[in-house]
Amino acid sequence: MKRVLGLLGLGAVALTLQGAVASFLPAPFCPDLGFLLVVALGLCWRSAVGGVCVAGAIGFTTDLLSGSLLGQHALLRLAAHAVARFGNRHLNLRGALPQAVFVAVLTCANAFAMALLTSFFSPGTGVGGVAVRELLPQAVANALFAPLIALGTARAVARLGDEDGGQRVLPLAPRGRIA
Amino acid sequence: MGEFRSRIAFSMLIAALVAAATISMVVDRRGRLTGGSLLPGWSRVVLDAAVPLQKMVALPFDVARDAWTRYVALVDVADQNQALRSQLAELREDNLQLREALVASGRLERIAEMRADFDVPMRPAELVGVDVSPWFRSVLLDRGQTDGVLSGMPVISEDGLVGLVTATSSRAAKSMTVLDRQSAVDATVQRSRSRGIVRGRGSEGIGFEFVARGADVVVGDLVITSGLGGVYPKGLRIGRVTAVSDPGSKLVQTASLEPAVDFGRLEQVFVILRRGPTMELLYRAEDGDAAPAQPGS
Repeated sequence: MKRVLGLLGLGAVALTLQGAVASFLPAPFCPDLGFLLVVALGLCWRSAVGGVCVAGAIGFTTDLLSGSLLGQHALLRLAAHAVARFGNRHLNLRGALPQAVFVAVLTCANAFAMALLTSFFSPGTGVGGVAVRELLPQAVANALFAPLIALGTARAVARLGDEDGGQRVLPLAPRGRIA
Repeated sequence: MGEFRSRIAFSMLIAALVAAATISMVVDRRGRLTGGSLLPGWSRVVLDAAVPLQKMVALPFDVARDAWTRYVALVDVADQNQALRSQLAELREDNLQLREALVASGRLERIAEMRADFDVPMRPAELVGVDVSPWFRSVLLDRGQTDGVLSGMPVISEDGLVGLVTATSSRAAKSMTVLDRQSAVDATVQRSRSRGIVRGRGSEGIGFEFVARGADVVVGDLVITSGLGGVYPKGLRIGRVTAVSDPGSKLVQTASLEPAVDFGRLEQVFVILRRGPTMELLYRAEDGDAAPAQPGS
């Protein structure tokens, strides 16, 4: 509970900071801190229940502070968290470079999912050439900040009491091959 | 057995969260179309809490920006001052001539009488934060229902149209700007009176879509609100045409606009405390807050 509350506080700080920083940086070049935090939690926090709860809460709060439909970001943050957990289980995402590449790809997938949802609920908007031009700098900005956020989140998780924060055990051999 | 139970519970938690998000989207969308639904209570609390937090976090950034613009970046100020002084002198001269013409035609008194009837109440508001999602273009204002700000009210600045209030709590309001891809404003070219729709294009600014046949739109034209959609008052500046695309065989042509409002430096706005007839119709049944309004004028 303490960890969940602590990470919810971290999420609130990230979103508030995002709102302030976005006033100074052009939107496509501003890293999506809420998204990065949710992905970082998927990479370094063992508690699946806690991760899902925090991701959902961050998503709903993002919806409130954004022009999106209520629930749109919540759904996508849950999906991003799930993909991050899945990716962390099946890929080696320990270094800065793998994390950056993973986040860049996930940012693109997230943006297309967002555009699809938006065009489904508000026809006439959504995927377009302009949105695609914004996507590349957004993916790069997120990729650059991803290792930093992942490191900070892992430390925060460890400080809040999870000894294994950021230290998930990797399987040494493929499943079913152990003699 | 215990692990099985926890797995079932986890699956149910995920299902509940996904269902909550999906239902929220459907309800919110329905609210935007009908203007009938209210923001949930918890979300009003979060929106209220966001304003002081945003102000607190933005304070050091604001101080740094103020220090830079007021004390450091003053290279062009003398030239700008001179240009503005000469512009002011020209405008004073024009104003004088126009007044003279009005007095001569006996219309000044009648205009003064009419002005009282058309006086629109406005509430100044401070922009405390921008959209936390890079894919949308909303802003957070520090005025809410207690100040008379309601969903569906237009937001302007001294330069022109900013957007529309889409959600309010007691002390905060969320406004969708004209840059947002969900925004559509019924507009007209001031010079030729050609009509069209101004659509938001995110960080690419705004575009003016109009029927190519018979339209007269050239670079430099000022585009203003037409007032015909019943959302925004007539005559608010939206932007100036910077490029007109080649229509080819298309029926609809698009012109790029430079927004009249510099959204990067926007700090102070005014909420027009009177909704247009369409918005009034949408929100007439509401008592307190309202869900985001259907964009488009």
